Amino acid sequence: MTVSKDPEAPISIDQNLPAETKLTPTESSRSWLSGAGRSLAWAAIYFLGFLVLLTATFLVLRIPPLVGLNSLCVGAFGDAHSGHLPALSDTLIEAAPLLLTGLGVVVAWRAGLFSIGGEGQLLMGALAATMLAKHGKHLSPPLLTALMVTSAMLAGSLWGALAGWLRVKRKVQEVISTIMLNYVAKFVVSWLVLGALQEHTHHNPQSESLSNALLFARLLPREWTGGLQTSLHIGVPLAFMAFPIVWLMLFHTRFGFGLRLVGQNAEAAKTARFPVEKLRVQAMAISGALCGLAGVIELLGGATGSLPAEGFSPGWGYTAVPVALLGGLNPAGTLLSALFFGGLTQGCRNLAQFQSVPTVLIYLVQAMAVLAVVGIRAWNARRTGRETN
Amino acid sequence: MTQTGGTAAVSNPSIHSSLSASKPLLLRMQGIVKRYGSVAALSGVDFEVRSGEIHALLGENGAGKTTLMHVLAGLAKADSGSIILSDRPVNLNSALAARRHGIAMVHQHFTLVPAFTASENWALDSPQRAWPALRPFRVTEAAHRAFDHASALGWELPTDTRVADLSIGVQQRIEIVKALATEAKILIFDEPTAVLTGAEIGELFATLRHLREEGRTVILIAHKLAEIQAVADRVTVLRRGSVVASTAVSMTDARQLAAWMTGDPPISSASDPINSSSAPKSAALLASELVVSDDRGNQVLNGITLDASRGEIVGIGGVDGNGQAELAEALAGLRAIDSGSLTWDDEDFDPRGAPRIGYIPQDRRRMGLAITMTVGENLVFDAAREARYRCGPFLRRRALNQLADDLIQQFDIRTSGRSQPVSSLSGGNQQKVVVARALRENPDLVIAMNPTRGLDINATRFVYEQLRAARIRGASIVLISTDMDEIAALSDRAVIISSGKLTPYVLDSRDTAQLGLLLGGFPANSESQH
Repeated sequence: MTVSKDPEAPISIDQNLPAETKLTPTESSRSWLSGAGRSLAWAAIYFLGFLVLLTATFLVLRIPPLVGLNSLCVGAFGDAHSGHLPALSDTLIEAAPLLLTGLGVVVAWRAGLFSIGGEGQLLMGALAATMLAKHGKHLSPPLLTALMVTSAMLAGSLWGALAGWLRVKRKVQEVISTIMLNYVAKFVVSWLVLGALQEHTHHNPQSESLSNALLFARLLPREWTGGLQTSLHIGVPLAFMAFPIVWLMLFHTRFGFGLRLVGQNAEAAKTARFPVEKLRVQAMAISGALCGLAGVIELLGGATGSLPAEGFSPGWGYTAVPVALLGGLNPAGTLLSALFFGGLTQGCRNLAQFQSVPTVLIYLVQAMAVLAVVGIRAWNARRTGRETN
Repeated sequence: MTQTGGTAAVSNPSIHSSLSASKPLLLRMQGIVKRYGSVAALSGVDFEVRSGEIHALLGENGAGKTTLMHVLAGLAKADSGSIILSDRPVNLNSALAARRHGIAMVHQHFTLVPAFTASENWALDSPQRAWPALRPFRVTEAAHRAFDHASALGWELPTDTRVADLSIGVQQRIEIVKALATEAKILIFDEPTAVLTGAEIGELFATLRHLREEGRTVILIAHKLAEIQAVADRVTVLRRGSVVASTAVSMTDARQLAAWMTGDPPISSASDPINSSSAPKSAALLASELVVSDDRGNQVLNGITLDASRGEIVGIGGVDGNGQAELAEALAGLRAIDSGSLTWDDEDFDPRGAPRIGYIPQDRRRMGLAITMTVGENLVFDAAREARYRCGPFLRRRALNQLADDLIQQFDIRTSGRSQPVSSLSGGNQQKVVVARALRENPDLVIAMNPTRGLDINATRFVYEQLRAARIRGASIVLISTDMDEIAALSDRAVIISSGKLTPYVLDSRDTAQLGLLLGGFPANSESQH
């Protein structure tokens, strides 16, 4: 059998294959700014987008945009007339619980868990501190305060670890379990505060007011603020200390490395012999401890020093999610975003007071800020998203 | 017999290939350019396919084969270039447009809905009349064309079983039928053999020939030379986004194809000296009567015994899903052993001491890497836990960075720096990260599972060199692979794993018939090939 070779079959060999086909991605387009510079540039873009949205909102509400913006700024940062310190103090106070709960979301997220349980952990923290205060009256006040802070963090971490345990041992999605545990915490607080923990006259739906000796000391002397009493208390710097600690933990410890590895690829972490389940429970515990700390700081720094049966938190634990998202789910971003949310809240209060706009504007503007960021990010991802062969 | 032999030639593929050269041109892609960002995936590709041929598209990973075919199938839009189908320019800017022009693609990763049956998957893809909306939807009716094609191919497919419960080979047939049901004239197969076993590959090739006899045109994306020689009529070789050659398969050979593909001769098992004459050493690793279960609690290893000496590569060949994944995990200490013993130098494994284990898991993206973390971080998964890279709970970042830089240099990982995300690396360089981590501390025992899967020739060669170097250093290496050529190229000794049992296999014989039987789970001396 002969196989005839067809003379038509051509062999076309491209010998001129360019040796340097430009296949390597040119780094020039990426390295024109360093990492930090790029982040700042993006922050500027977000801020501009936010200003545009804000201006549009003011126009819809028939407020001159410049007046509105000025009113926001005065609320957040104060002005020469009434001084900057009182406004800044309030902004920081607003930011503190958002920072702590936001960091809680970040820590859980870094371990691959989407915790919405900040609210419940915060309430359990405040509740544990309140119970300790009721039963520890014989202790010296500074010791009792320290114990209250510790117990609140412990209670919060247990509440968080419970959700983590349910996830790793019972495969309960933490999104569901943390929300459910929020309700449990909320009703446990109501039940105890209207029962065993109610103040001694049994008239008001709140716990016994704590003695002044227990509450956090005010930080700013009246001389600095022109005689005004400001409420900046020692709990605020305590809260802000959480930022460097969380940052160090996540990026400079073995524990944080394992935690981030679990979050990025649990299977690879397991293959590299990291204790995945333990790390996840621990991450939830730390997340809970941060939220519990937020609870006790609000309890000890608040005006009354008592835990109400309802409405102790205006939803810090939930706002934490957009705070963390806006902060790009990293600690530094969350610090900036918590300050932004704090300033925005104070600014909108001022706006509502003097420009007669409804206070719900706060939530409207917050929501728009988050949407702006999500939108810009999606656009950016689509722009840079490239398929691989 | 000459090429005028007519119908008799149908049974002879080699004659077919010479016949096909005179077939009319069906498809011409001209000057196709496709860039992703600043990366040119295709830089002006001309590609011609004749009617009724099996045309192989050959190239290394990243050569642009899949991208070119995605352009043809309307899944990617070319930046410039034209497509001429049957002498008429066509605009294939969507998958639907490609389908209307009779082009269908059988994807490497199937596009079936796992929870649906075969009929439901076919019905899902059938053209729907939008109105009346309330007309009852009958699966068998909607899928009737697919049924016709399945019976035309003589396939008895289990059409009422969930696709997820079927074997990969059967799933691929369902996918092929799905493509045929679109009445496609041109069928594109994206590396169809990557997921198949030996026998299934043969059946696929028979199917491809059958499709050709029906007058369809088949484009086969491949990077295995033997497969191209077995089935294709013509071949086009791509390298770095450009066409290097286009010719009849009968006019070339494997060496030439490999040279076009890479500029290097192919790896052959003859090129590496295996020092089999060295004195027999006592086994360091001894696994006796291992019984291991999978995640669902099914016993997948039924009392296997395996040993490996220092400086020895033991190859374990076999088709995926025969217990080798569980064996690898058990040996690496990642999976509990139901019964049996695992000893090193006659002592039980000590997690903190001997042996130091280097583990190359089978799926680098799933098990080996955290794809979003940096190259540096991915290199130090284990080091981050070692005392010398820590100070209390804190990591010694400088020492870890130094380690990462050293490994990048030592293992020739092509990256612009350790702070790049590992996702920015090519597949070969990603695998180098995994290999670097496994071999970093000169482990006593290396467990490597499919260490070169999906890698191109140069990356494969690099991994081979590293494993051989580890062997020369005196490491015991257990190489688990589905690629028998790889087993043959590297191993001192080989066994075949099938249904959780091991059978010794003599590498020298390379008796493919016997190998096929062993892989298929038949005992070595079986007479009948039921």
